[in-house]
Amino acid sequence: MLSSPRLLRHHLPPLQCCFTTAPTQPPSSQILTIKKALLSGETTSVDLTSAFLRRLRRTEPHLKSFLYTPSDQTILQQAQELDNRIQNNEPLGPLAGVVVAVKDNICTCDMPSTAGSRLLENYRPPFDATAVRKLKEKGAIIVGKTNMDEFGMGSTTEGSAFQVTANPWDLSRVPGGSSGGSAAAVSARQCVVSLGSDTGGSVRQPASFCGVVGLKPTYGRVSRYGLVAYASSLDVIGCFGSSVADTGILFHAISGHDKFDATSSKRDVPDPTSQFIANDYLVSKPLKGLRVGVIRETLQDGVDPAVVSSVNSATSHLEDLGCVISEVSLPSFALGLPAYYILASSESSSNLSRYDGVRYGKQLFADELNSLYRNFRANGFGSEVKRRILMGTYALSAGYYDAYYKRAQQVRTIVQKSFRDALDRNDILISPAAPSVAYEIGEKKDDPLAMYAGDIMTVNVNLAGLPALVLPCGFANGGSSGLPVGCQMIGGAFDEEKLLKIGHIFEQTLEGYNFVPPLVADEVGC
Amino acid sequence: MANRALNLLRASTTVVPITTRRSSFLSPNIWSPRTVEVKQRRSKRSYSTSSLEPPDVSRLAETARISLSPEEVEEFGPKIRQVIDWFGKLQDVDLQSVEPAIRADTEGDNIRDDIPETFPNREAIIATIPNFEDSYIKVPKVLNKE
Repeated sequence: MLSSPRLLRHHLPPLQCCFTTAPTQPPSSQILTIKKALLSGETTSVDLTSAFLRRLRRTEPHLKSFLYTPSDQTILQQAQELDNRIQNNEPLGPLAGVVVAVKDNICTCDMPSTAGSRLLENYRPPFDATAVRKLKEKGAIIVGKTNMDEFGMGSTTEGSAFQVTANPWDLSRVPGGSSGGSAAAVSARQCVVSLGSDTGGSVRQPASFCGVVGLKPTYGRVSRYGLVAYASSLDVIGCFGSSVADTGILFHAISGHDKFDATSSKRDVPDPTSQFIANDYLVSKPLKGLRVGVIRETLQDGVDPAVVSSVNSATSHLEDLGCVISEVSLPSFALGLPAYYILASSESSSNLSRYDGVRYGKQLFADELNSLYRNFRANGFGSEVKRRILMGTYALSAGYYDAYYKRAQQVRTIVQKSFRDALDRNDILISPAAPSVAYEIGEKKDDPLAMYAGDIMTVNVNLAGLPALVLPCGFANGGSSGLPVGCQMIGGAFDEEKLLKIGHIFEQTLEGYNFVPPLVADEVGC
Repeated sequence: MANRALNLLRASTTVVPITTRRSSFLSPNIWSPRTVEVKQRRSKRSYSTSSLEPPDVSRLAETARISLSPEEVEEFGPKIRQVIDWFGKLQDVDLQSVEPAIRADTEGDNIRDDIPETFPNREAIIATIPNFEDSYIKVPKVLNKE
């Protein structure tokens, strides 16, 4: 576990400066740093957690990343129990003392789980999602539930029934979505890492907008048990971190087969930590011979020039590291977007039929059952969710199924084949994570089609079920210090390990960038 | 800047009201010459889009069991029609002989043995039910004029 000398060599200065990253220094693993500091007695879990809570309480009024946080006392009690275990030399889990935030559509039995919907406002699940259970077993301290577009349907987090989350880089902009709260929380160092979910890009696009690392695992790698269903053939739980190492460690902790999810894979999940080679130990061309395919269709007209230029620089950087770069074409790329929205809307219209006013939520008075259903759903769902249910209902109507749902599934076959062909000839594929930087709050609110268009870079990967890693690679103009741009690396099924290895080398060798937002730069960038 | 992304949708929809420059990126001919499976064959599709009725929002709402206010019907109508028109883009793609994929191209079907297990936290499940009495979930009367 603690095999990488580079990641361990930072000694912890006084608390408020724990995670020092000087402007041009590569991001170090907070998780490994914490583990070392706790084991050496340099600091305590209570002190570390208190520092995060102070920052969370200071920044939260500006950001509104969280829908729920337990009291400081409740959280610190867990830290105290961990300190007691350390005192008694008891074994520690791989996430011991790591402060984690969880997207609110992932069930937690000791906290509300609303999925951003008014309809589930007071819902307390009777169980933990498998991913959450694993976090707890491995020693993580869950600091709260993060804001999101209702049921994951949105790309800005403005679709939350409760609040609008701001982007830590520019408070007038959105953090992306639907996992906007989880991305903003990691970006502003309100937590070390966080869980999100990704049905069509909901981890990767907010990672790009907030300048953090986001991983969408292979479909089937992480159990969906306890993830509030949106589009079950596409949904995956994903990870955010401020470094590739942290993201990979979190991913490893939550992955693996689960008997409660029949689509979860029985394959072993290799521990990626051994892949995180220290910068000082890297040979001159550490990625020599690695074949990288740049997806032509993602860098053409319609994409923000600043995004194109950042991704081109990232490609040059990979070339400097020894990669062999070529251009690949995915001719079906544009078809993936309408196919995705047909499938997601259709599946959601079926999945969300469970919200009937009988089993969850506050029951309304009605004189007959159908009125109860209609009124409960009318009061509980927001506009975007209602529209998607209606569009899905249309696409699944008798006589229309072949024209919409079936055709979309046929397009999914073509998308899968085109990725397979491209990945036969390349180790990974590269594209932007989004066609633009973070939108202004309100910019997309009344134009669903414009919002859907922003998902062009990510939805195809969900249709194919492949893993993809997004990492910050540059900046575009905007805000007081620029707005981050993310680069997406797409790998073969179940090959997260390769993506994490490449991503780690990429970020350790990328010079001249600091992805700590100005809001917290004084504290963490000192 | 963000409206630029709209170009990505412009290819074959004609109903989008905002006019910006069309993107060569997604114009239909970008994929037709390069692939065998995906090509435009407007003349040979199995049905015409005219046989597909445009969405009637009130009827859909009835089917989906969601009451809509008259304002919502008015607001949703154009937005839903715009998206459905855009969905129609797929009607123009030749997909004959392409098998549908029901989900991701990975693996799965690791179905567990069908052995019932008692859920340990039954009380918590019951606590989430809004109207529970004497081991029954209470609902309004089911028989009605429909």
